[in-house]
Amino acid sequence: MLETKLCGVTLKNPVIAASGTFGFGAEYGDFFGVGRLGGICTKGLTLLPRQGNTGLRVWETAAGMMNSVGLQNPGIPTFLERELPRMRTLGTAIIANVGGGDPEEYVEGVRLVSRAEGVDIVELNISCPNVREGGMAFGIKCDVAASVVAAVRRVCSKPLMVKLSPNAEDITAMAIACERAGADAVSLVNTFKALAIDIGARKPIFDNMTAGLSGPCIKPIALRMVWEVARAVHIPVVGIGGITTWQDALEFIMAGATAVQVGTATFVQPTAMQGIVDGLERYCTTEHLTSLSTVCNILGRET
Amino acid sequence: MFATVPVRSHEQLTRDVWRLTVETPAAGGPGQFYLVRAWGNDPLLSRPLSIHDVGPGTVSFLYQVRGKGTELLTQLAPGDTLTVTGPLGNGFCTEGLHKNIAIVTGGIGVAPALYLVRSLPGCRVTVVAGFRHDVYGLSEFRLLGTDVLVATEDGCEGAKGLCTDIFNPAAFDAVLTCGPTPMMARVARMCGEAGVPCQASLEAHMACGVGACLVCACATLSGNKRVCADGPVFDSTEVIWHA
Repeated sequence: MLETKLCGVTLKNPVIAASGTFGFGAEYGDFFGVGRLGGICTKGLTLLPRQGNTGLRVWETAAGMMNSVGLQNPGIPTFLERELPRMRTLGTAIIANVGGGDPEEYVEGVRLVSRAEGVDIVELNISCPNVREGGMAFGIKCDVAASVVAAVRRVCSKPLMVKLSPNAEDITAMAIACERAGADAVSLVNTFKALAIDIGARKPIFDNMTAGLSGPCIKPIALRMVWEVARAVHIPVVGIGGITTWQDALEFIMAGATAVQVGTATFVQPTAMQGIVDGLERYCTTEHLTSLSTVCNILGRET
Repeated sequence: MFATVPVRSHEQLTRDVWRLTVETPAAGGPGQFYLVRAWGNDPLLSRPLSIHDVGPGTVSFLYQVRGKGTELLTQLAPGDTLTVTGPLGNGFCTEGLHKNIAIVTGGIGVAPALYLVRSLPGCRVTVVAGFRHDVYGLSEFRLLGTDVLVATEDGCEGAKGLCTDIFNPAAFDAVLTCGPTPMMARVARMCGEAGVPCQASLEAHMACGVGACLVCACATLSGNKRVCADGPVFDSTEVIWHA
């Protein structure tokens, strides 16, 4: 009923754990059967290990949170050796999220990861707002993004999904540019670049000045962006941004998303995604739907 | 475990410190913690509270009102429910501890000390507790026969000053500490100089609580560690305190 095809990969359902919020999957094994998920996006990986940002890394906001982790990860070779074998036992699709500091690191990282057995999809992260010299720098301007996507496409032996930043100059143009450069899907949105100030200390909360905002507060904007992009491209769109309930997930699907990713909601309730899968199943039963594709992209292509 | 559980009892100990006891089948070890919440999506994140004590079918927390989340907790009455995730993290390692043990705490860092004392039955334990003004969370120690040394910054009870002013690490075989980071850094340094092993329970802002999101990183000699999943208790010589 909920089975979903994404770039030729069959997912049990359209609910995917968003990168950076679910570790490598096993962390949540004590709380629910993570094999029930449609897929898991790994913590953002780079070719070389990264220690991430200094200082405070999380700040709570009204209906949201800001994070400044800065792509802390063990590096792709260590991921392939230690984490991937364990992830493969979880019984769900594995989406390897790859970031980079320069085009060469992206290309080498994607080459390594996409060759690994067990990786189903590569998600290219050109949208992390928390690393100064990379990440989002590639996700603001269409021509820069397109050149990275094209370079990575040549070495990527798995379906390539590009994760877009809401901080892009024009997210629709960005999605079209990525599609033309060879992306098989786009996922959106990553976190919004945001600022918080410690008024007592008269300093920014974060060492890195800005940080990425996520959570329920971004949902309506993310939904609008997904709707705009879904009308403009011919590749699948994966919706991300503040999805907390099955009703939220359904909104993104109605706006044109083939699948959704859930992140911050897992911090509110570790079993949030299980609840979303259950809710979508009940919805299909109640509405007598054999597939969610019946209600996907139902707003039409006209404004 | 992730569950919605009822409040057994809830009492206000001082102006801003409360003891909350919930009915839960899960327990945990001393120094482990739970994520708790008693509200919807606002505030968004749960609050990490260390285990204060464990009874038959109950776990209690000692918490200080710091902001919106802990303020909301104060409204809970017996029979109300709250959501708990836990027990989480790696607590104090009590194996191999013997003879004279000091538990050095600052402020609400006294919270895990009671369950810790109960978990050290063969040891002679001294609790060295510092507070700014109000003193709380110590009455059970007198019943347990634990030595208690108190320091308050305003001198209203015990010695006037900091807990580190009345603490001599050389008198102990091991030290366990929980409190504000600058205080624990001093305790760690004193123990290092005296050659006494010290375990420190770190505090951090957390989101997931299970080691997935990496927002509670702390710098250690072996790179960044996750306070929630690798800690919250670390060997004090492993922690890079100035970071």
